[in-house]
Amino acid sequence: MDDPQVRAETRRRRIALAGLGLMAIVFIILSAFSFVSSRDQITPDTVVYAGEHGAVDGKRVFQAYGCMGCHTIVGNGAYLGPDLTNTYEDAGPAYLAAFLPSAGQWPTEAALRVQVQQPQQVAETGIADLAAYYEAFPGAKERIERRGGLTSYMPNLGFRPDEVPALIAFLKYTSLMDTEGWPPVPKVDGLTFPQAAGAINTASDGTEDVASTGAAGAESAVDLVATGERLVTQLGCLACHATDSARKVGPGWGGRYGTVTDLADGGSALIDDGYLMTAITDPDAQVVAGYPAGTMPSYATVLAEDDVNAIVAFIRSLEHP
Amino acid sequence: MIQYRTQRLSLRFFLLMLVLLLVQVVLGVVLSLQQTDPTLLSGIMNFNITRSQHVNLGVLWILSGFIGTILFVGPILSKRELAAPWLVKFLFVALTGITIWNAVAIYFAQKGIAGWWLGQPWIQEGIEYLEAGRIADVLILVGFAILAYVVIRTFPNVKEWNEIHWGLGIGVSALAAMWIFGMFFIGRIDLQEYFRWFVVHYWVEGVWEVIHISLIGILLVLMFKANVKAVGYAVFWGVTLVWLSGLLGNAHHYFWVGTPEFWQFWGSLFSALEPLPLILCFWHMYLDAHHDRKPLVNKPAFYFLLGSAVLEMVGAGILGFTMTFALTNVWSHGTWITPSHAHLAMFGTFGMLGLGAAYWIVPAVRGIKRFDQRFGQLSFWLVFLGMLGIGFAFAIGGTIQVFIYRTLGLNWFGSDIYPSMMLYKVLLVLFGLVFLAGVALLVFDLYTLGHRVREPEAQSAAAAYARPTSGWSRPLTGFEAGIWLLSMWVFGFVITGGLLSFNLARVQSGDPTLPYVAAAVGYPGLLLATLLFVWRFLASLEAREQRSEAAMVRGPVPVPAPTD
Repeated sequence: MDDPQVRAETRRRRIALAGLGLMAIVFIILSAFSFVSSRDQITPDTVVYAGEHGAVDGKRVFQAYGCMGCHTIVGNGAYLGPDLTNTYEDAGPAYLAAFLPSAGQWPTEAALRVQVQQPQQVAETGIADLAAYYEAFPGAKERIERRGGLTSYMPNLGFRPDEVPALIAFLKYTSLMDTEGWPPVPKVDGLTFPQAAGAINTASDGTEDVASTGAAGAESAVDLVATGERLVTQLGCLACHATDSARKVGPGWGGRYGTVTDLADGGSALIDDGYLMTAITDPDAQVVAGYPAGTMPSYATVLAEDDVNAIVAFIRSLEHP
Repeated sequence: MIQYRTQRLSLRFFLLMLVLLLVQVVLGVVLSLQQTDPTLLSGIMNFNITRSQHVNLGVLWILSGFIGTILFVGPILSKRELAAPWLVKFLFVALTGITIWNAVAIYFAQKGIAGWWLGQPWIQEGIEYLEAGRIADVLILVGFAILAYVVIRTFPNVKEWNEIHWGLGIGVSALAAMWIFGMFFIGRIDLQEYFRWFVVHYWVEGVWEVIHISLIGILLVLMFKANVKAVGYAVFWGVTLVWLSGLLGNAHHYFWVGTPEFWQFWGSLFSALEPLPLILCFWHMYLDAHHDRKPLVNKPAFYFLLGSAVLEMVGAGILGFTMTFALTNVWSHGTWITPSHAHLAMFGTFGMLGLGAAYWIVPAVRGIKRFDQRFGQLSFWLVFLGMLGIGFAFAIGGTIQVFIYRTLGLNWFGSDIYPSMMLYKVLLVLFGLVFLAGVALLVFDLYTLGHRVREPEAQSAAAAYARPTSGWSRPLTGFEAGIWLLSMWVFGFVITGGLLSFNLARVQSGDPTLPYVAAAVGYPGLLLATLLFVWRFLASLEAREQRSEAAMVRGPVPVPAPTD
């Protein structure tokens, strides 16, 4: 240690270490202040969606599917799809509930209406009709108007039934988070922006309303099938059900009428008019084996009996491909 | 060629590195194709799976290159054989096994299976960069512990450590220590992000940077017989500056993740200082390469080493600087501007170091004194050009994305954002293919090095001496290198100004002129200056070689120019 050069080196190292120690102390103090409860930053254990689904469970689902591999959350992740931080406050829970199970297709207005009227949605948002929902979540209106019924680039991931509400709970949590003003709020409306308006897609065929289809009753069988076909398009049924026998989110329709199917509860059922009507109005009553219960919402409140008949007629008309 | 028998053990890590690199780059090209058409391989290998594999392999091959280099220089630094060579052999098997297991495990994300047990995801955990599940995490930790043990046991007594020993010793220990912060499931996203950047930032901008500086230092000593004391002094200041700026610089990841606003001040201030050690490293590269004026023995090795120091300064230093201020980061965050920085910095700094080390070490271990260096040189230019192009495509595509997505608020990716970025998405594919060609060539070259017949020395003496040693090839002075460095930074400031201009009322009311012009000047200017500088630097070295050969009146050696 008598070598002056060695002594100088040692001293230099000590000064560097002292500087580093100072930085570390500053960092630790800042970190401690970042997570004190008095900051009132929302925590996921306090966020519940639809009364029973916790945000922490949702975060587990979010991680299990590797959502950050395509999307960003608080700006971190990949850049194939949009940032998800504020999707909940933008489009609302009913839109997410309509979209996530059949992510391959953007929800139609009718599909959104079905979700808005579900009891757990009404309990969550306090909103029972579409107009009020649009007012509360303008992002949902824009999405329905621009992309309703169109194909999306996101694949159908085949979420298990309890995973969708859990994910919604997680996105509710991230929406409630204070992210210091990020992402920045646009000062202009891109949709009406003159230079962009010419290039962007505002047309959609999914906005037609299902209302007043009650006239279907008096029509001939052929008309009934046509009405049914129109209804399944408007409602967005085809996001989950193929018109051939292929499995999408739910079972394909083609060639299944008149066959006997195994049920999830171990029994079996003949697929006839009665079975199909129940499947539309009370989907969890007789679930086909191999498909999870709780995925399909009930259409009892949105469809008149004649509408259900028309859809059943359409399904009946689908032969084996 | 090698003094210590156990230095041979480094070879297998380089061969593994090259395989992983090739697979990673193929997956990168697939990713760029999926960006242009998201339905490609949808349902078979979704984009998020491809990306996780791409990111994880990137980390793994860089680590493999680090390990290989450390094992090669360890005995040199210690003047004795590696401790516990059987552990090193085991480490190699473990690394291969972890790589294969992790690739399989990541695929489970497609089915939403994380393997929850005791509250932890054991198979995969779907967090960017830390996708590996707990099984892999634990095995990786064991691997790091083995590496740290071998390195520190091999080194001499602590009292005899010089700056390079300190850099590597602390580096391999901190590598393991930081990894632990990524091994817990955290419900809060702000806290999760807080600790995630412990691993990612302190690895990349702390530990890896230190290992990088130390390895560049020792390789410069080996290549140019540079003065150990001088290099050690540079390593000391490099390491010190990296940590003094980087410890609080981590704050630049805490701007928008739910942590308080005060991080914006600390992050903007300290991470603005983070380029300093990178400039120092860059400058030392210039000094050491020019201090002895002897010809380059191993051109590809030096090319990649130079590429590493330059791209570190450009990709990590300058591009990192442009987006490190809260006022610019608020726009660049979560867009394609980020990967332009990430690709240049990550591959440039660490990848090129691994490749440069491979070109130095593979022939040395195989006992090859002279080899055909043209493949190596060509692959360098392909890889370098490809990566600059990738950075360009990401940066310009990202600038457009910021305007469409954040300023106009158009959030339909399929119909608003994809079409506006499509040209740059296609460019990404094209430059990706150039990059892939370079990688394929260098993998082939390094694998067959020494097994191929050497090229005939047929070039005439006249051709070798015909090269001018004036003009573009005249010796590079410190003044000129300084001008190049300054010009790169000027373009960096233009880019910063462009990102800042997104804050102006004029831009926010829908006029993209300022940011677009700044990006159109800044990015191509910076990347072209980088390309030309490296060309100029290498041309001056080539000319030096010819001058020294002429002086020695030796037989002519074919001297392929880097670009013609």
